[in-house]
Amino acid sequence: MENGIIEITFHGRGGQTAITASQLLTQLAFSKGFKDTIAIPIIGAERRGAPIQAFTKLSQDKQIKTYDGVVYPDYIFIFDTSLLDIPSVKATIKEGVKLIVNSQKPIDTSNLAKNIKVFLVDATGICIKRKFMHSSGPILNIPMLGAFGKITGYYDLKIMEKVLKKEFGEKKLEKNMSVARDAYESVKEEV
Amino acid sequence: MIKPEIKDFIQNKETIIIKGNVATAYAAKSARVQVISAYPITPQTTVVEKLSEFADGGQMPGTQYIKVESEHSVMASIIGASMAGTRTFTATSGQGLFYMYEMVHWAAGTRLPIVTAIISRGTAPPWNIWADFSDLISCRDTGWMSSFCATHQEIYDEILMSYKVCEDYDVLLPKFVAYGGFILSHTSKPVIIEDQDKVDAFLPPLPDEKGWPHIWISEKRPIMHGNLIMPSGFYSEFRMKIHVAMLEAKKKIKTVTKEFEKVFGRNYGNGLIQEYKMEGAKVAMLIYGDLALQMEEAVDQVREEGYKVGMVKLRHFRPFPVEDIRDIAKKVKILGVVDRAIAFGSQTGGPISCEVKTALHDTQGTAKVIPMMNGIGGRQVTLEQQKNQLKTLIKFHETGELPKDMIFGTYWDGLLEVD
Repeated sequence: MENGIIEITFHGRGGQTAITASQLLTQLAFSKGFKDTIAIPIIGAERRGAPIQAFTKLSQDKQIKTYDGVVYPDYIFIFDTSLLDIPSVKATIKEGVKLIVNSQKPIDTSNLAKNIKVFLVDATGICIKRKFMHSSGPILNIPMLGAFGKITGYYDLKIMEKVLKKEFGEKKLEKNMSVARDAYESVKEEV
Repeated sequence: MIKPEIKDFIQNKETIIIKGNVATAYAAKSARVQVISAYPITPQTTVVEKLSEFADGGQMPGTQYIKVESEHSVMASIIGASMAGTRTFTATSGQGLFYMYEMVHWAAGTRLPIVTAIISRGTAPPWNIWADFSDLISCRDTGWMSSFCATHQEIYDEILMSYKVCEDYDVLLPKFVAYGGFILSHTSKPVIIEDQDKVDAFLPPLPDEKGWPHIWISEKRPIMHGNLIMPSGFYSEFRMKIHVAMLEAKKKIKTVTKEFEKVFGRNYGNGLIQEYKMEGAKVAMLIYGDLALQMEEAVDQVREEGYKVGMVKLRHFRPFPVEDIRDIAKKVKILGVVDRAIAFGSQTGGPISCEVKTALHDTQGTAKVIPMMNGIGGRQVTLEQQKNQLKTLIKFHETGELPKDMIFGTYWDGLLEVD
């Protein structure tokens, strides 16, 4: 945390909806009363399956004045465990960081930084079970954010309902909330 | 030209989290622009996407949206629409602006109050789509006014203020409102969208069926425009009057900025520049665009370490705030000028640092100007880097020492090693 600003990095693959997650997180935090937020996508030549990165910064009480990328995140979202094999992704995992990982089973942390906390949520499994899919696979952002709300306490399911209703409408709300709730209730710390 | 009927469309003041480009679209909507003509180009694309969504969804009932085949036609059609007496809007970036370039001159030469958002990006080759103000700077001598935005809110506010300045009968000039591609265009932040009736009251009324005072066309009143003028004709005088009008516009920019603060409560300095923590500063940085906001944070942190540094955000490039910069340069000993654009082969390499040096040329006892370059082609500029830039100035102030690797007198920050 730099100057009271909570910094979050998102690692995903093109199509896994990580960039939308970084933007939705700003909405959730802002609805909960955070004073300022910013979502920063790293844009290049994206395509389905390519590693992509995004950042979100959240501030409880002061204006966020930086536009630069996050170097020392407080939290890191891992949408796809295969990304942990990429050296540039691994390098972003610094000592003491908390990881939110989309995985059914525990991940190997032996060659990652020390003192990290890992939270597991089977977002892919939840999406498949609830048929929460788009053209190229599961829509992972909602369950990942559900898990994040539970871990951090920054927002709860009520706030998620309000934001998701505003963003995606009444019609899709039930399905959106079903995956959010599943993740909120099932996320657990890896021990 | 069809005069669209303006129905009431009231929207209440609301803070929403949006991308910079969406803030641009909201500004055009709040200003009740009557004609939009646009061609998509990265990173401007989401502006026209959002505008077409608004127009198609019935949220801009008084607006005609024209699809065209190129940027050249964008400006040509906007010029036609403006000549017919409408409030017009478009947006473009980099190569799109260059393709538009011929018509850019026509807009200013015709004295049309067109507002255009420039989502600045690097100039090809090599192909580059990231923040770099070289595209805007290349329109320096077109007769357009131009300004930079540092925040998402400032984009919305500056577009509204621009209409009020441009449409003033003593000004009647077009204006570019520029901000960094991706850094502002694609990041999301909370933005206040103002009450429609408050915006309506702030802006001048939409032009009536007689259009602007100097030019008005319609199908019933065809005129010939822009025909050949002999050197003995009024050509030089037309040009001189554009120059004078733009210098006179400084006053209008100042009053509009003051009025905006009174109505909406947001301060943008005197409109031309905005000072930040200049009290007691002997060392200061002049900077523009998104980097200015981040520099505020750098100033705060360096001040916490006990150094009295300050910052001046340059808001307008044209008209250039010569008098304000002279005043600043009399107060400080060292003035760093950071450019995110290149003026090849010029004295410093940075277009703004050149302007600053020219502005100070006739004045005794002004600060030593240190030109700096960074973030070209969207290269990330970190807070740490900006703190070091301030410390470079402090070190020069204290010891007279400059970094050894200056390139022809300019400090280039964040370069990779090259042969």
